[in-house]
Amino acid sequence: MNKIIFFGGKGGVGKTTCSASYAVYSAQAGLKTLLVSTDPAHSTSDIFEKNIGDTITNIMPNLDAIEINGEKESKLYMDSVRKSLKNIVSTVIVKEINKQIDAAAVSPGTEEAALFDKMIDIITEQVREYDRIIFDTAPTGHTVRLLTLPELLGAWLETLISKRQKSVSLMSMANHNGYADKSEAEKDEVIKILKRRLDKINLAKKIMMDEKLLSFIFVINAEKLPIDETVKAINILEKYNISVDGIIVNKILPDSIQDNFWKSKKEQELKYLEIITEKFKDKKIFKLPMLVEDMKSDNIREIAAKFKDF
Amino acid sequence: MDKDKLKDILENVRLFFGAATDFNRKSRSMLFKEAHNEMDEFILLCFGDILGIPIPTTYYSLELLPLIAEDLDGWQQRMINRLYVWEEKWSDYGFDA
Repeated sequence: MNKIIFFGGKGGVGKTTCSASYAVYSAQAGLKTLLVSTDPAHSTSDIFEKNIGDTITNIMPNLDAIEINGEKESKLYMDSVRKSLKNIVSTVIVKEINKQIDAAAVSPGTEEAALFDKMIDIITEQVREYDRIIFDTAPTGHTVRLLTLPELLGAWLETLISKRQKSVSLMSMANHNGYADKSEAEKDEVIKILKRRLDKINLAKKIMMDEKLLSFIFVINAEKLPIDETVKAINILEKYNISVDGIIVNKILPDSIQDNFWKSKKEQELKYLEIITEKFKDKKIFKLPMLVEDMKSDNIREIAAKFKDF
Repeated sequence: MDKDKLKDILENVRLFFGAATDFNRKSRSMLFKEAHNEMDEFILLCFGDILGIPIPTTYYSLELLPLIAEDLDGWQQRMINRLYVWEEKWSDYGFDA
């Protein structure tokens, strides 16, 4: 199993329970584990019955968790931009910029971008601290975008840096009789900020794609839609050369069913299980039974123990 | 040949090369213009959405705002007034000089 594991899958299939119990399993196996929840509902706190929040919190020996929140991250970022406005004297300009920031705060994609930014921070900063980092991700589409982000942003940042460098060096040529002072481009604050961002993105890309430290586990149910969605997601991931470690089929019905309604349900389930073995034949498939009780902090260890066969 | 005529020619030649090689007169303004053009494109790539061009990376350029805020107003005016790209490019060749 790889170092950074993303739990993906359609909404409601049980990603949070699976990733939490898998994190407990990893911790009990002696791996220093970090569980990262990107779900704004913060169900991870509810499962462990502990207030986790946006700082790394210890849950049990070897297991830390953090809940990140796009809304909060974007607010922090905007505030830091606002703070650096203090150096600008003109109140007209400050007013104009604040208008810009307010507009950005409500524009679509802002929270998503903030969340991605934080995820990249965690990946680049914590990858050496932990043996395993487990992401409980938002439903599939989201995660696939995270993987396309380094390319999109990288190209954009490179263009910006070269434009700015050209502009600074032309300006310097104009001021020094045709000779450009190279140090001016290095001292330029805008280029410094852009380069810092580009370096971070490239580092994340290196960790996720080049070193192949990232892999996926998909959680599905024995139903049509989760299967179809996962097939599509796996195709996209393969394009990016990201491996899918396994498929967890969650909420399997017990065999000892008497009631007619549940009997026919079970028959259907068996049919879908066949399709699953067929469609994901080159992946490890792991079946988890439907639980009698909800998973909570008192029974999570029992469920975690099941992962030893995975 | 008339001495005055020769003097005239030499003076004209001197003026020609003087003007052609005078860095400070034309070249400098051209460099400034080029630098500003690059900068305008830079701002367009960062904050095109101010003009109504959706830029998916606006979130990431926000942190540059404090540094280029003072250029923003002039940029916006230039972009709005930019009606004839051809005329603008034509004037770069300096036929009016």
